[in-house]
Amino acid sequence: MTGPELTWRRMHPVTPAVKGWKVVAVLLAIAVQQVGNNVQQAGALLVGRAWLIALGVIVAGGLLGFGYAAVAWRMTRFAIDDEAVYLHSGVLFRQQRKARLDRLQAVDVVQPVLARILGLAELKLEVAGGTGSAVSLAFLKEGDAAALRTELLARAAGVRGVEGAPLRAPSAEQNVLEVPPTRLVAAMARSGATLAAGLGLIGLIIVVVLSGQIGTVFVVIPAAFGFFAFYWGRFTREFNFRAAISPEGIGLRHGLLESRSQSVPPGRVQALRLTQGPFWRGPGWWRVEINVAGYSGANAQATENVLLPVGDRDQALVAIWLVLPDLGVADPRALLAAAMDGTGAERGFTTMPRQARWLDPLAWRRTGYVVTDRALLIRSGRFIRRLVLVPHERTQSLSVEQGPLQRRLGVASLVVHSTPGPVNPKVPHLAAAVAGALMTEQAARARTARAGAGPELWMRLAGDS
Amino acid sequence: MTSQLIPAGPFDPPGVVWAPVSPRLAAVRLSIAGIVLGVPLVGGVVAALLSGVTWLWVIPGVFVVLGLWAAWLIPRQVRAVGYAERADDLLIRRGILFRSMVVVPYGRMQYVDVQAGPLARWFGIAAVQLHTASTGTDAVIDGLPPTEATRLRDKLASRGEARLAGL
Repeated sequence: MTGPELTWRRMHPVTPAVKGWKVVAVLLAIAVQQVGNNVQQAGALLVGRAWLIALGVIVAGGLLGFGYAAVAWRMTRFAIDDEAVYLHSGVLFRQQRKARLDRLQAVDVVQPVLARILGLAELKLEVAGGTGSAVSLAFLKEGDAAALRTELLARAAGVRGVEGAPLRAPSAEQNVLEVPPTRLVAAMARSGATLAAGLGLIGLIIVVVLSGQIGTVFVVIPAAFGFFAFYWGRFTREFNFRAAISPEGIGLRHGLLESRSQSVPPGRVQALRLTQGPFWRGPGWWRVEINVAGYSGANAQATENVLLPVGDRDQALVAIWLVLPDLGVADPRALLAAAMDGTGAERGFTTMPRQARWLDPLAWRRTGYVVTDRALLIRSGRFIRRLVLVPHERTQSLSVEQGPLQRRLGVASLVVHSTPGPVNPKVPHLAAAVAGALMTEQAARARTARAGAGPELWMRLAGDS
Repeated sequence: MTSQLIPAGPFDPPGVVWAPVSPRLAAVRLSIAGIVLGVPLVGGVVAALLSGVTWLWVIPGVFVVLGLWAAWLIPRQVRAVGYAERADDLLIRRGILFRSMVVVPYGRMQYVDVQAGPLARWFGIAAVQLHTASTGTDAVIDGLPPTEATRLRDKLASRGEARLAGL
């Protein structure tokens, strides 16, 4: 089944110790939650012997967890050749997974807190197979993980190596984007969550003053915890955010406790979205998110789809440049200025027709699209400004949709299907004829762009040495 | 055959000849509607007869009206479905009130499904579904005769292979 030339490797022997802790952590979390739910009963438990039983359960669970993790470690091994990564795992239900390297979408090195203390790292290979298709190699030594990533990216790029010999030194990375913690905090303070928290606080004060009962304050404690968790999670995940460019593609690093270092090879970004909330307009900040096949974006907590958590206009332009170095127009800055802040038909934008104001009274002048040689730009939103870019060769399929109201007004919506992720490109309420023509043109553009696109093995472009 | 139901517009690109799906799809969908509406209808009639309360006849009446509406709507919906194989992509069109047309390039197809439930098999039809790397692609052609479904699947698969270009 597998060739004899495969050399099988194991994960780092400390892996079970790191993974086994999860069981203890879960049990502890349950215990803390139970105590938190009913403080008085928990106090009664402490007097009796019940806490001994609880401790026993946690210890037994921990032993079981560590034992299972140890057996799982024994059963897990992986190998790499020029074509694919092989991973064999599973204790009761065995799994043999083969991930083709030419389908590699991204490689992440993830370090949870405990692994970070021990100098270990998880290597995650994203292939475009939907949820759960990632190949996870956990845990490896930090240095091994980095070396393996370089090797995998080189092999995925089509550089053929000799067994045992180092393939190539890691390419020089150049930092292009950095987000200082002060700006991250300022950006969170100016977010919609702060507005909601502020309104909630004002409402609470009014209720307390009117009712004269301080006890009302305790009702909102869960909500306060929710806000705190949101801010804390966002801060720790996006802390120390850096984006770099190298021949291997885009490199993203971030994280305060759990650190994550992502490598997205060239041409793997399927779509891109810039967002600016109303309170970010003053400092001119933007958030940039991307669709990458394999980064499902299903988890709203995930940071893997973020290309820039917060940045000024120039940084947002750099983020666009990372994905689309050539926008295919003579004056990209002016076009993007119109796309980010503009309204109306300037710079070749096609907006909603006048009759569409009944369907979108606020943003009908702003929402529109423009087509360049390389990408489709969709501008929308008046309160929360958005700009979506889809490279022509990354268009999956297209559709035109029209409801009864839209038909009466003679408009239709164009939907561009991209891989799962935060970006869902759609141009709503275009004149019906325009939408139909745009669909036909985009289908043709996508076809020609694909024919001229770089090869999957992107280093072959520069000549296979 | 082009459908007379739908006037020209964004859903009628020039030079496209639409293939209709089998009218047996309407029979399948009507049977399902009949089962779904028929059971509560009978229940309502029995309840009204046994209790003797006159206004209880409103319940079966509602289901009769729903059934008549389905009988009027479903054949029209089925006639509105069309697909067209072009040189580089497949077009699928559907809907009367909420209309949509999707274009799926052969080179973007990841896999093709052919499905047929028990009722559909009884009536001799099958559904072909195209999958791209996007979950947003809603490209199903329901109501194809099995031979046509198999032919389409093989043709799509071979065309996809010839034009496949990563993601």
